[in-house]
Amino acid sequence: MSRRYDSRTTIFSPEGRLYQIEYAMEAISHAGTVLGVLAKDGVVLAAEKKVTGKLLDLSGAKEGGYGGSGEKIYLLNSNVIGGVAGLTADANSLINYARSAAQQHLLQYNEDIHVELLAQRLCDLKQGYTQYGGLRPFGVSILYAGYDSHYKFQLYHSDPSGNYSGWKATCIGANNGTAQSLLKQEYKDDIDVKTAISLVLKTMSKTMDSTTLGSEKLEFAVLTVDPETKQPKAKIYRPDEIDKLLESEGLAKKDDDAMKTS
Amino acid sequence: MSIMEYNGGSVIAMVGKDCVAIASDLRLGNQALGVSSNFQKIFPVTDRIYLGLPGLATDVTTLRELFRYRVNMYTVKEERDIEPETFAHLVSSTLYERRFGPFFIEPVIAGMSKTPAGGLKPFIAATDLIGCLNFAKDFVVAGTASSKLFGVAEGLWEPDLEPEDLFETISQTMLNAVDRDAYSGWGVMVHVITKDKVISRTLKGRMD
Amino acid sequence: METSFAITGKGYIIVAADTTAARSIVKMKTDEDKIKTLSPHLLMAYSGEPGDTIQFAEYIERNIRLYQIRNNYPLRPPAAASWIRRSLAESLRSRKPYAVNLLLGGYDTTTYTPHLYWVDYLGTMTEVPFGAHGYGSYFALSLLDRYHDPEASLEEGIVTLKRCIDEVAKRLVVTPGKYKVKVVDKDGIREIEL
Repeated sequence: MSRRYDSRTTIFSPEGRLYQIEYAMEAISHAGTVLGVLAKDGVVLAAEKKVTGKLLDLSGAKEGGYGGSGEKIYLLNSNVIGGVAGLTADANSLINYARSAAQQHLLQYNEDIHVELLAQRLCDLKQGYTQYGGLRPFGVSILYAGYDSHYKFQLYHSDPSGNYSGWKATCIGANNGTAQSLLKQEYKDDIDVKTAISLVLKTMSKTMDSTTLGSEKLEFAVLTVDPETKQPKAKIYRPDEIDKLLESEGLAKKDDDAMKTS
Repeated sequence: MSIMEYNGGSVIAMVGKDCVAIASDLRLGNQALGVSSNFQKIFPVTDRIYLGLPGLATDVTTLRELFRYRVNMYTVKEERDIEPETFAHLVSSTLYERRFGPFFIEPVIAGMSKTPAGGLKPFIAATDLIGCLNFAKDFVVAGTASSKLFGVAEGLWEPDLEPEDLFETISQTMLNAVDRDAYSGWGVMVHVITKDKVISRTLKGRMD
Repeated sequence: METSFAITGKGYIIVAADTTAARSIVKMKTDEDKIKTLSPHLLMAYSGEPGDTIQFAEYIERNIRLYQIRNNYPLRPPAAASWIRRSLAESLRSRKPYAVNLLLGGYDTTTYTPHLYWVDYLGTMTEVPFGAHGYGSYFALSLLDRYHDPEASLEEGIVTLKRCIDEVAKRLVVTPGKYKVKVVDKDGIREIEL
């Protein structure tokens, strides 16, 4: 039965389902959690890293790049941060696509791409793989945290089928159900970035498998508007900045944790 | 009438002591008719590279957008800022792509480049409209007032000028050269790039 | 002789263009509207080679409209102007370039500021406080250097515009005749009678 309807992405099952898409989404629900919260003056993203260990070389993450350690959170454009859950290799290809789509928009219109339009661009690509034969869909869900002149701060989510939607707070990856119900309880309209940061970290600490949070398991980013230039300012935290933030939020790991990377 | 003189405009860059300066006029004209007195020809490429684009105004905008695109793509792929030498070669190859139907622009590049020891040293360069690079140790000029700029700069420039003195030198060079050129003028924009900051000033000059 | 003017004021832009459609030495039509409404807050006055003008203006008009339908909101004036400029710059190096000069006046509803762009057939673009195309520009620009006030009310702006029109009528060998005048501000676009 299943052999007949899931060997190709482009074939509907008799119940009218596309199994490959559902499998892709299933793969994502085992991936590291990515969580986003929209505030009135910013957007916050946090992600759980799965690839850890004391032999992993993270020297590149300490300096250079845009911050982050290059597993879950990426700068897509000067006004958009993306958090990915799913197959990392697929995600890399989508990030490349997003960055060049954003730059092409800048070239054509001399204006930063609108957040929704960037999500649409990626969804057009993702949708293509649910329809044209021979290829596997992207096993990636993305959270887009962005700012543009029309709708100000925004948070979008896109899945492997090419669906996307806007959110006030949402979560993808492992334990996303738990996180979402937590967010539903805790979220209030008109929260500011500071409250959103606490909310994100608190929710993360409750959903993640490990009992204590630390920079070797967490990536973190905030998008705000620079009060001086009025331009969006994307900040992806470096490992030492994450530890400092966790400490100030009272969520830092105790010294008994053996996972010291330095 | 040459197409290089259609809109008018000039740019100059100078080396100082641990700093560089780049200046341009602000005129946009249609031959002898002035259209705008606020047409920027110098654009920031990174925090410590500035690019001057004198020549045909349509290509000023086109190249400005094209270089921003290529530098941004470089930055996201490399995850670091481009170095002035690398950028100069990007400019050169971008212009040479159009060897037989060129952009009518003679770019000037000014920036501070990293030394192997970890410090910063001044860098200036200019190319012709098909991308032939000219790395200079003192100053480079381009645009409709280039011949006048050469003369004044030759007289005023001296080695190892401090940022404020370099600002004065490049400003006087520019203001006096464009006064003798009908196609340049209508204000001057000056940027002095030092190790830790960029000083940008707009000068009024003769507005006639 | 085709002539168009545009001036900015406090929160508005006035765009004026003559209404003559001429072929060789003959006036074929004297009520031609050469100012297109591209979006609820964007005007474009066009002049140049007959045929090219209408073809290009309609191409721009429909693409700007398509963007608005696809994305639910129109392009902001700076983005629209950049895109239109690019179309002209790309056309310039094609086999048959469009010979069209433009004045783009728009009101940015996200920043509450008026924008005026002067664009020529080469793809030269610059934001200006006032601009003009055609033979009229030789008279109007120097006049506007003297009389233009970026903080002027709409009534004062219209008076300044009339000065330009009267000067061109007085000094230009071939007087353009009637003008169509449109205004764009926070309330959108409307035509005004002089």
